[in-house]
Amino acid sequence: MYFLNLSLLQMIGVFGAVSAVSVALYLLDRSRRKQVVSTLRFWVAAEQPTVAARRRHINQPWSLLLQLASMALLILAIAQMRLGAPVLAGRDHVIVLDTSAWMAARSGNRTLMDTARRMARDYLRAVPARDRVMLVRADALATPVTPFEPDHRKVEAAILASEPGSTALNLDQALAFARHAQGQDGRTPGEIAFVGTGRTAEREPGSAPPPKNLRVLLVPDAIENAGLRKVGLRRSASDPDVWEIYVSAHNYGTRPRNVNLLLDYGPPNADTRVPAASQALTLPAGGDAEASFQYRTAAAGIMDVKMTPHDAFPADDQAELELPAEPHLSVTVYSDQPELLRPVLAAAPRVNAVYRKPSEYRPNDAGLVILDRCIPPQRPTADSIWIAPPAEGSPIPVAKTVENVAFARWDTDHPAAAGLRTKDFNLERTSVFDVPAGDAIGEVAAGPVIAARAGSPKIVVLGFHPALSPMRYELSWPLLFANLLRWMSPEIFLRSEVGGASVGTVKLEVEDGITSKDVKVTTADGSPVPFTLHDRSLDFFAGSPGSVRVLAGDHEYMYALTLPQLWDSRWEPPPNTHRGIPRFDAVLEHVSDIWPWLALVGGAGLLVEWLLYGRFRMARFAPRVMAHNAAAPAEVRQ
Amino acid sequence: MAAPPLLDREFLEKLERLTIHWQKSFPGLVGGHNKSRLPGAGQEFLDHRNFHYGDDLRAINWNAYLRLEKLYLKMFQVEPRVPVRMLVDVSTSMTAYSNGKFDYARKLAASLCYVGLVRLDSIEVHAFSNRLGHRISSSGGRHRFPGVMDRLGALTPEGPTDYMAVTRELIGAYSQRGLVVIISDFLDDRGCERALQYLADFGHELMLLQIWADEDRTPPWTGELELRDAETGAALKVDFDDTARRRYTNAFDEYAALIQTMAHRSGGRYAGVATSQSLESVIFGDMIRMRGIA
Repeated sequence: MYFLNLSLLQMIGVFGAVSAVSVALYLLDRSRRKQVVSTLRFWVAAEQPTVAARRRHINQPWSLLLQLASMALLILAIAQMRLGAPVLAGRDHVIVLDTSAWMAARSGNRTLMDTARRMARDYLRAVPARDRVMLVRADALATPVTPFEPDHRKVEAAILASEPGSTALNLDQALAFARHAQGQDGRTPGEIAFVGTGRTAEREPGSAPPPKNLRVLLVPDAIENAGLRKVGLRRSASDPDVWEIYVSAHNYGTRPRNVNLLLDYGPPNADTRVPAASQALTLPAGGDAEASFQYRTAAAGIMDVKMTPHDAFPADDQAELELPAEPHLSVTVYSDQPELLRPVLAAAPRVNAVYRKPSEYRPNDAGLVILDRCIPPQRPTADSIWIAPPAEGSPIPVAKTVENVAFARWDTDHPAAAGLRTKDFNLERTSVFDVPAGDAIGEVAAGPVIAARAGSPKIVVLGFHPALSPMRYELSWPLLFANLLRWMSPEIFLRSEVGGASVGTVKLEVEDGITSKDVKVTTADGSPVPFTLHDRSLDFFAGSPGSVRVLAGDHEYMYALTLPQLWDSRWEPPPNTHRGIPRFDAVLEHVSDIWPWLALVGGAGLLVEWLLYGRFRMARFAPRVMAHNAAAPAEVRQ
Repeated sequence: MAAPPLLDREFLEKLERLTIHWQKSFPGLVGGHNKSRLPGAGQEFLDHRNFHYGDDLRAINWNAYLRLEKLYLKMFQVEPRVPVRMLVDVSTSMTAYSNGKFDYARKLAASLCYVGLVRLDSIEVHAFSNRLGHRISSSGGRHRFPGVMDRLGALTPEGPTDYMAVTRELIGAYSQRGLVVIISDFLDDRGCERALQYLADFGHELMLLQIWADEDRTPPWTGELELRDAETGAALKVDFDDTARRRYTNAFDEYAALIQTMAHRSGGRYAGVATSQSLESVIFGDMIRMRGIA
C-alpha cells in the first residue's frame, strides 16, 4: 500500500517543517520553568555562574539530536526511500494494438494482425516484471481490454485474443486515451507503444502532436488492394418494379487493376441465387470507378455484389444487400356504383382494389374496406371508409342532416386534410356528425361532414358522396382520397432506398422539414441507434457490421453496413519517435525497499529518547534520587 | 463534609505508653513526672543546708539540732509540673509543595499533645508565623484531646516567618520556664539562630523538630528555573543541574547542622524530619533516639 511517495525536495520540506516544530516544542518544553519554593537562601548558594547559564539554552542537546534523527528516519520511511533507481521503477505502460479492419489483410501466409500480435508480445516480454501494462484495442474507438495489469500473462492472453474489427483506426483518439489513462494513475508513466500499420482515418487538422513517450512498432503492409466502397439501390421513379443499382469501387494500391463486378439475386441461400448482371471495370491506381445496373423484381431477396478477382484483403470484395418486397394495399369496395370510386383507386399504384355488391359483404376482409351508401350487417374488422352511410347505421353518430349548404372549411391540422384548400362548392344534402373537434376533417356551417376516428381499426365517415356532389369537379376529391389512404396505410407510400456501405459513421441527407420526431433509426433487431440531425444532415455510428433501418418521413433507407472501413491516409510517426522493441535497464529489477527498516530504527530512536529524557522519567526517578539523598540527614540528626 | 481527623485511633493507642521528657530542672509545683534538681515540696530527701532567716521552720531537722545544736534545714527533691509549650509554624513557607509540611507539622503536634495529655502534662500550643498566634491550652487527661485536635485541624497558614518577633512575644507573655517544642521548617530569611538562642538563654529547654519536604532538600527539577519565594514573593532565575543540586543540598544540610548545633549547645534536642517519613517512624524512632520522649 502506498501512503506517500515524496520527492527529495518534498521530503526536505516536510523534514524542515517537522524539525522546526520539534525544536520549537523542545525549547518550549525545556524553557524556564516557574516554581514556588519555600525559601531562596539555598538556591542562591547553588546558583550557576551567569556566563555559563547563558550559553546553555539547550540543556539536553542529545535528546534533541536523537529526536531529529528519529523523525528524519520516519519521514524517509514514509517517503518510501528505495535503493536503486526509484524514479524509473514501477512504471505503467500502454500497448495500443491496431485492430482496424485493415489488419485482416494477408501478407504471405499471415495476416497483419498476426504480425501485430507477435510484435506486441515481444514488447510485453521486454517490459520489466515490476511494470504494469494496459492493453488498448484501437479501431474507430479506443477500447481498454485490461487495466494496468502487473500480471503480464493476462495481458499476453488479451493480445492473443485480439481480432481485426470493421472500422478504420482513429489514432489520435487512441493516443489521447492512452495518455489520459497514464495520467489518471498515481504511478510513474511509462511508454505508449503503438503496434499497427499506421493506416488511419482522416485526421482532423490541428490534432495534438503524438506524446513524447510514444514508441512505434510499425507492421509492414505493402499490400495491393481494391474493393467495393459503396453500393446503392433504389426503385426507379418511372417503374416501381425496377431497381436502379449503383456500385462504387476503389483501388487502394499503387497499380491499376482490371476487375469484374458480378451481381447475383435470389433468396438468402447463396446457392440458389441467379446472376443478375455483370460489368468489367478498370480501377486506376488510388482512384475510383463506378458502375450502374438495373434489375426488375417486385419480390424480396438478397442482392449479392462481388468484385473479382479477389485480393489479399477479401473483406471489401463482396457486399450483400437485402431488397424489400414492394408493399401493396388490398382494398375491398362494397358499392352498387363502383365506377364512381374506380378512378381514385386506380390512381394509387400500390392499391389492389376488389369491387363487390353490398350483398356480397364479408366482415373479415383484410386491408381496407370501403362501404358506399350501405350498412353491413356486421362492422368490418379492418380499417374502413364509410361514404354517405344511412343515419341509423353510421359508425359515427349523425347529429342532423342539412341541405343546400356551402362547404365551410378543412381541418388542415389533420393529416387526412393536408393540402386541401378548395371550399367553394355546395352540398345538396349531407349528414352532420357529432364528433370531437380533433376528429373533424371537413365541416359545413352546421358541423363536421367528414370525420375520422383513429385507433384500431381506423374509421373515416363522409356525410356525402364526393363523386355525386359538386366536389367531383374539384382537385380536392382525389387528394382527399389519397390522404385517406396515406393516413390509413402509410407504408404503401414509403419510398425505399437500399445502400451498402462501410461500418462507422454514416451520413445521410434527408428532405426538408424533417425533424428529429419524424426520424427513427433502428438495427435489424429493432433496437434504436443514437443519431444526430443538423439541418438536413443525419449522422449515426455503427461500430459493427449489420443492417440499419432509417425511417425519415415517407422515406425508408435500408443500410447494409457490411463493408469494412478503409482509408487511404497513412500516419507517419515523427522522426524522433522511439521505434522497435526497447531494452529496459536491468537495474530496475533490483530495486529494494528499506522503508520498513527506517521506520523501525526511527521508532526505536524515539522510544530510547523517551526512556532517557522523557517527562515520565523525571516523575518516576526523581523520588528515588531524593530518597537516596534523604539518607544524608540521618547524619545531621545524629 | 467534615475534614478527616488528623490522627486515627489505632495510632493514638500506640502513643499511650510514651512520655515527654526534658533534661533541665525547672521549678514548679508538685504534680509532674520529671524530677528536678531544685529542692521543693517533695517526698524524697535531697540534702541539708544551713538554716537562714526566713526559712520554713517545718523543714528544720530537729534531730540534728539536738545532737549538734545547729539548725539545719532538710531539702526534698520535687517532680514539678512544667508547662510544655509547642510552637507550630503556620507560615506560608510550610505550604510549599502541596501543604505537605503544614499537614505533617499539625499531625506531629497532635501526637505530642496526646502524649502529654495522657501523662497529665499541661500542653500549650501556639501557632506562629510573624507573630504568636492563638494559644491552644490543654491539660487534664486524654479526654481533652479531641478539642485540641479539632483546633489544630482548623489552623490556617498565613504570613511570613519572624522568629525574633515571636521569641520576644513569647518571653514577654510567659515568664515560667519550661520545655519549648518548635515544629517548623526554620526557614526565616533573617535567620532563626539568634531567636532560638534567646529562648535558650531565657531558660527554656528547646526541642527543635525541623520539617522539610523532599523538594526542600533535593529539588527534582533541572534546567532553567524561575523561582519565587513562597513567603516574600521574591523571584530568582537559576540554571539548575546536578552540580547545582549537590551544592543546594550541601547548603541545606549545613543549615540543618547549624540548627542542630545550636540546640545541642543550649542543652536542647533536635530532629530533622522529612515529610516522606511516616509519622510513626518519627515518633517511635527519631524522637526516642534523641530522648525527647520515652
